[in-house]
Amino acid sequence: MAVDTQERPAPTASKEGATAEQDSRFQRYRIRTGMFAWMMHRLTGVGLVVYLIIHIWGLTALTDPETFNALIAKYHSPIFKVGEFALLVAVAYHAMNGLRIVLIDFLGWSPNQKKLFWTLGAVTAVIILVGGWPSIYSLGEWILGPGSMPTLFL
Amino acid sequence: MAASTSNALNWFLHRITGTFLIFMLITHFWVQHYDHQAASVTHEVVTEQGAMPDYPEEAKEGVRARFGPDAEATPYQVVMQRLADPVYAVLWKGFNILFLIVALHHGFYGLNNVMTDYIRDPMGRLIARSLSWTVALGLLIIGMYSVITAGWG
Repeated sequence: MAVDTQERPAPTASKEGATAEQDSRFQRYRIRTGMFAWMMHRLTGVGLVVYLIIHIWGLTALTDPETFNALIAKYHSPIFKVGEFALLVAVAYHAMNGLRIVLIDFLGWSPNQKKLFWTLGAVTAVIILVGGWPSIYSLGEWILGPGSMPTLFL
Repeated sequence: MAASTSNALNWFLHRITGTFLIFMLITHFWVQHYDHQAASVTHEVVTEQGAMPDYPEEAKEGVRARFGPDAEATPYQVVMQRLADPVYAVLWKGFNILFLIVALHHGFYGLNNVMTDYIRDPMGRLIARSLSWTVALGLLIIGMYSVITAGWG
């Protein structure tokens, strides 16, 4: 994969020295938009695997009604509302960036890829705001008191 | 040769499972959090510790229709509308098992990609790979057990 690093800035630079400083396997990468998107994809991906493990483990409570009810009651406490929103952000980002990767892999690189990037970014923002509104609303009601949040779409 | 073929297949499957997951997650999120017959009212449910969430009329009616006029709309009963349904349970359990397999493959293949990037030692890679897929297999078994036996009692 072609990634510009500070040690290997651009194709125009001389080829000597490109491998000179390979003593450390941790290269310092230039963080551009695409690189940032890739790093976030990994971070959210690992986070979602951790969540998946906890989620499947928690659902063993389905074998007993009392345990399951207690578990769900716990999920409705404020701290889990924050977690619920963070989960939506991670899932929406990972899904939309993943969709972009799949489109580029299967349809090929296109000169319109920047347009695709920002379009999917806008779609992600809409998913987070619309899908996350119930969580934001309930947290607002809890922090600011009942009736203090506008009941948009709810 | 065999290894590279399986890597290409897994790479391809990662794209396919990812695409599938988008549609399955939309269904999952809708049913769990937004549909009124299935979900607790999301915007009313910041509850103090241990308090049971409230459900809308649709959910209460659904539970009473299936489990009798005295049945209460607890989280368990609301989920059992689907998982203990005489007609749709098989469909929902099938969906959940497929969802489980697809999510585990996607998640743990991705996790292995990340680990392979940071673990250089072949032995370390082998250990990390075996360990992570063992965890995935364990989760598959307990996940399938939870889904299949739900509503049997």
